[in-house]
Amino acid sequence: MNASEQDTNQPDRRKFLTAASRTAMAGGLVAGYGTFFAYAGRYLYPARAADKAWMFVAEVSAIPVGKSRDFRLPSGASVVIARQGEDDTVDSFLALSSVCPHLGCQVHWEQVNDRFFCPCHNGVFDAKGKGTAGPPGDAGQSLSQYPLRIESGLLYIEVTAESLATRPLGDGHDPCLRPQPKGNDV
Amino acid sequence: MSAIGTWFKERIPLDGDAFREMTNEPVPNHLKHWWFCLGGTPAYLFVMQILTGILLAFYYQPAPSTAYESVRYITEEAAFGWFLRSMHKWGATLMVAAVILHQMRIYFTGAYRKPREINWMVGMLLLICTLMIGFTGYSLVFEQLSYWGATVGANIADGVPLVGGLIKNLMLGGETYNDHTLSRFFILHAAVLPVVMVLLLFVHIALIRMQGVTEFQFKADANKEKKSFNFFPDHIYTELIMGLVIMILLCTLASIFPASMGPRADPLTTPEVIKPEWFFYVMFRWLKLFPGAFAILSSGLIVAIMFVWPFIDGFVRRRKPASEFSVWIGILAVLTIIGLTVWEAVVAH
Repeated sequence: MNASEQDTNQPDRRKFLTAASRTAMAGGLVAGYGTFFAYAGRYLYPARAADKAWMFVAEVSAIPVGKSRDFRLPSGASVVIARQGEDDTVDSFLALSSVCPHLGCQVHWEQVNDRFFCPCHNGVFDAKGKGTAGPPGDAGQSLSQYPLRIESGLLYIEVTAESLATRPLGDGHDPCLRPQPKGNDV
Repeated sequence: MSAIGTWFKERIPLDGDAFREMTNEPVPNHLKHWWFCLGGTPAYLFVMQILTGILLAFYYQPAPSTAYESVRYITEEAAFGWFLRSMHKWGATLMVAAVILHQMRIYFTGAYRKPREINWMVGMLLLICTLMIGFTGYSLVFEQLSYWGATVGANIADGVPLVGGLIKNLMLGGETYNDHTLSRFFILHAAVLPVVMVLLLFVHIALIRMQGVTEFQFKADANKEKKSFNFFPDHIYTELIMGLVIMILLCTLASIFPASMGPRADPLTTPEVIKPEWFFYVMFRWLKLFPGAFAILSSGLIVAIMFVWPFIDGFVRRRKPASEFSVWIGILAVLTIIGLTVWEAVVAH
């Protein structure tokens, strides 16, 4: 290659190298910072869903048709498990969640009105958990049901293994914050 | 010049004239009316919130097992803790009120119109950040109302189509309120949102400086030869008077109506009467009036319309220049907001 050919090729080579280095720089920045933000996003998203577990409730034969049984979950919440049919299948049983499907508040049973009531937005549900008034009634929402399973004549309920309500939230978690008794100076 | 003076002069080459040139922007005469100082009021309150917030953070512990107890310690045992917490609480209330009043002033004087559309949108982002910082701060106390307020807030986010579940999970750090939730709210309240707000405020004020303040002329000022006055010291004096009034107001409110403690959060029992902070009464009543999905989507639509309002207004005014359309819409919106807020305030359910 003579000197004049070298001069002619120079700009192309320079252009190519400039473009290549810019692309590499942009690619490196996007890859580096993109990875960082992707990892940051994934880090902020919960690592796993809450653990679930099957808990034994009672022998199927121990709950007569038309009767119900109070069951306390690990979270401390009370669930009424009712038997509505004669078959020894899960379809005969009903375990209503007390979480309002509207915006997640706790409903409570009003004996006088024969209904579940949600105080947050005035949601009303009948005894079978069907929304009858308020936002859940308007939207046709019902109280959700806990999954049930029958195995060898035994009834099980699927629940979240751990919840905030299982933690002791009382005094004494930080001794520095506990009021100190007075008058014990040595 | 002394040796010390020369030393500084060599390192900071700014003399009195240059400093005057930097700060002495002529301020239009109408800014002598107090309601035109409403923009400075939330900024002043924001600084107070940062100061009191830093002091509260010295004792606050953002975990379900410690949060309530640490707030009780601040309120009942730490020296002047009750006063600082009350100032923080009332500062938040006044800040939300000041931002809303400032926005109303901008709206009804048409100060959002060309070329200030972008600054209106920045102001809208500041309003949203102010409400979010109010929401996250209220949740930190971990008392019954704040716990259930956070739960309802997260489920409102869950109702947003497509991304609702993602937002809820990111917000709570799980499907439901859990061990990680309070620390997330604390980081959002004390770090992320304040930094975002400082950046937005910087843009907001920079745009005001670049475009200048909108000029109005009142009848009383019509005959005055000079149409403006100096930023320094004249306008600074006005702002200082506002600062003094706000300090007196904050101290009075904090002393007469100190922040109290409600019952500790109980994840198993929603209180019979549940209310959010007053600035969410509108949303709370709206959610009672309409089914979930419609209420959430319509609220989002209203915020979106507010966001792009300068362009909607510009579109209408290009066709009907003399139209009072925006004023009537504004009056209707203000009456609706007041009506729903009062309605929610006076009834238990």
